[in-house]
Amino acid sequence: MLEFVQILIGGLVVGCIYAIVALGFSLVYRVTGVINLAQGGFCVLGALSGYTAASWLGWPAIPAALLGVLATTAFGTLLGAASFVPGLSRISNANMLMLTAGLLTFIEGLALVLWGSQPYALPPFSRERPIDLGGLLVPSQAFWVIGTTAALLLGLWYLLARTRHGHALRACAENPTAARLMGISVSAMTLFSFGLAAGMGALAGVVVAPTTSLQFDTGGLFTMSGFIAVAIGGIASFPGAVAGGLLLGVLTQLATAYVSSLFSNAIALIVLLAVLIWRPNGLLSAGVARRQDVREEARVWKHITRLHPRSAAIAAAAGLAIALAVPLVVTSEGMLSGIVIAAILFIALIGLDLVMGYAGQVSLGQAGFMAIGGYTAGYLSVQYDVAPILGILAGMALALLCSLVLSVVTLRLRGLYLALATLSFGLLIDSFAVGLADITGGPSGLVGIPSFALGGYSFDSPVATYYLVLAIDVVLIVLLAGLVRSSFGRALQAIRTDQLAAAALGVNVVRCKLVAFAISAALASLSGSLLAFFFHFLSPDMVGTPRSLELVAMLIVGGEGTLVGPLFGSVVLTMLPTVFQSLALYKTLVSGALLVLCFLYLPEGMFGALASRLDRLARPRPAGTMALQRERA
Amino acid sequence: MDGIAPDGVPALRVSGLNRSFGGLKATSDVSFAVAAGTVTALIGPNGAGKTTIFNLITNLLRPDAGEVHLYGERINGLPPTGIAGRGLIRTFQSARVFPGMTVLENVLVGRHRLIRPRPLGHMLWSPAARRAERDLARRAEALLDLVALTRFTHVHATELPMGAQKLLEVVRALMAQPRLLLLDEPAAGLNDTETAELAALVRAVRESGVTVLIIEHNMSLVMNVADQVVVLDAGSVIASGPPEAVQRDPRVVTAYLGEEVAA
Repeated sequence: MLEFVQILIGGLVVGCIYAIVALGFSLVYRVTGVINLAQGGFCVLGALSGYTAASWLGWPAIPAALLGVLATTAFGTLLGAASFVPGLSRISNANMLMLTAGLLTFIEGLALVLWGSQPYALPPFSRERPIDLGGLLVPSQAFWVIGTTAALLLGLWYLLARTRHGHALRACAENPTAARLMGISVSAMTLFSFGLAAGMGALAGVVVAPTTSLQFDTGGLFTMSGFIAVAIGGIASFPGAVAGGLLLGVLTQLATAYVSSLFSNAIALIVLLAVLIWRPNGLLSAGVARRQDVREEARVWKHITRLHPRSAAIAAAAGLAIALAVPLVVTSEGMLSGIVIAAILFIALIGLDLVMGYAGQVSLGQAGFMAIGGYTAGYLSVQYDVAPILGILAGMALALLCSLVLSVVTLRLRGLYLALATLSFGLLIDSFAVGLADITGGPSGLVGIPSFALGGYSFDSPVATYYLVLAIDVVLIVLLAGLVRSSFGRALQAIRTDQLAAAALGVNVVRCKLVAFAISAALASLSGSLLAFFFHFLSPDMVGTPRSLELVAMLIVGGEGTLVGPLFGSVVLTMLPTVFQSLALYKTLVSGALLVLCFLYLPEGMFGALASRLDRLARPRPAGTMALQRERA
Repeated sequence: MDGIAPDGVPALRVSGLNRSFGGLKATSDVSFAVAAGTVTALIGPNGAGKTTIFNLITNLLRPDAGEVHLYGERINGLPPTGIAGRGLIRTFQSARVFPGMTVLENVLVGRHRLIRPRPLGHMLWSPAARRAERDLARRAEALLDLVALTRFTHVHATELPMGAQKLLEVVRALMAQPRLLLLDEPAAGLNDTETAELAALVRAVRESGVTVLIIEHNMSLVMNVADQVVVLDAGSVIASGPPEAVQRDPRVVTAYLGEEVAA
């Protein structure tokens, strides 16, 4: 019994942190309709800058922590003013989600550059020894955590319910247009909520830092937990956020204590999926019902630049010639390996492009399917000596099955909720990859995977693998380019922007999405298998959720909805660290910044920018546009 | 009931449609029929419940009570795809062209329900599949020609002026070869030339045997194209019949202009 209470208290402490992060999500969401994934990054920034204040300036724990919170709030506000607020008026909410994922990566990269990759712990605020409550040993910091949460809740309630500023915030949440007409500056309010949420995150970070150790990438963990908490409780509801956080904290601690720490995440995720299916708005849904399908806004529809058929044929021929010549020019083994990896990831990206770029369905779990393919093929060949090609096919079949189950489960979900469901699918696969150590080799990975071989020929050199993957890439591009030019491709694009209008024309929205998801899963699985065969090794972090986010970044940077575009993103983001070996430390920072900048200034991606330039060269002004301009004049 | 051709089943029969939003009765006991091969206009003051009826017919809203029959087949409760699959195609009050797609691609989406999918043929770029695509494009261009939009074929749909977008939406619906076409205020936002083009188009559509139900505020357009008029006020049908008769109906005049003050 005592042990149970002890665990419960531990769960409440963790839950408080999740709750504060979840509150930050909720606050920004209510004002803007956007989930700010950078939230967890602010926890880490707060804690680490608090650590620096304590160790460099020699400040006592509490003032140092406060300085950390203030510095992070200021930094968060600046970051928000430079990226989040301008982004809101330009890009869709689903893409805003990815922009904030870029911000999270950027913050993690910054922390890596400033503090390195080692873990840090802050000293407790009051005393080192736990407090004895009739046999119950409670760490003193637990009181600080719970107290801070309570004080924060009270303060937030006072701000929203009792001050003019709070009323203005709520007005923005209820109806931004009306609020604007009433003279409230919505962008100032957005910035205020963003900065406030950053400060709350930092506060959570500094009070939790003494109980655990933090490093540059712990932020992602906080974000995931807070995100799950807020989704369980109800995104737009403050009590829901707190309840979800506490529930999640207690649940994971109990699962860790009584089941296995390896599966505590899996249990939390299964709860989340259950909530998403059963009550997509969360257990405590708020009175304010916001539009769920965020992609149905007029302002967000950027055009997708595609090459004119003639230029496309020339560009394809030139591209193929360059691709064939690559191994002749690139003699460094390391460089060539990098290119092979980019080409393998490109297979998963083609699938992702079909789902996100064409059908407009956010998928944050693509690497989960890579893991399914990689581990299936790897395990079968290591354990049973199955031919690689059969292993690949088995992986694809399993991925298809999983995608079917996932699609059936998520059929009704759109926009943010779909993003959440696919994300939790990816995280679920992550925890299986770590937990099912007998099959996957656990955290240290699956070793001894042979090279891919076909008909007695083993592709055991980077050059051989390069040509193999190139052939697969080209075949896939040709097949899918044909497919997206058919009525199926047009149906996907129609679904992307207006499901209702598409359905009213007889487009079977469900079936189209199902097919797109299935193709995408199969391709990801193929990509994962090839990755395993190429590395002769597969570990959870090669095909984990960070990889999913990286794939989305590659897609956006390259140019979504273009099939070939993602190749640019894949090559750039894979090769940057290889080319600039000495600058590897900056990789995370640069890819985060690149993603954010692309969203803000190059929404059509590298391919789009290139294609429109090429097209302008080929045809100075399209006749249709000219006629239109005459008409308008 | 008006509108039923003596020998045939009506293209559309709506009976006893009821729908409330909270305490507000958006439609109460709405019944009318649209005879096959005619153009019927659904008119009424703002807030009379016209678009609600369209949404109830196409099952974007679930009726509290009532039935909808399309050529004798009950279609309540069918998903939007199923309704479109039976040949009932609608347009929307605010033109809902697909952004990010060209005018031509928009029109081609309209054909979706009638295209036999041959994924393999397309993936392998087979000549047959490409020929089918070319034929489709030719058909779409012929339709675009009817509303003088051919020169914008490869322009992004959202770059068109509002009026052209509304015409494009009608063309897209026609591409689906509807048996019954529901047009929700197609002339709103159109200039006089475009309205005239639209009227010609609607007449041509009827000539080709498609039944049309049209919501419209532009009375001269209604008088010009409609065979039958159904007048709605505050969620109820207050009159129906040929346009000239309806125009003189005192209840209709009252609904539009208000009660005359007793002298």
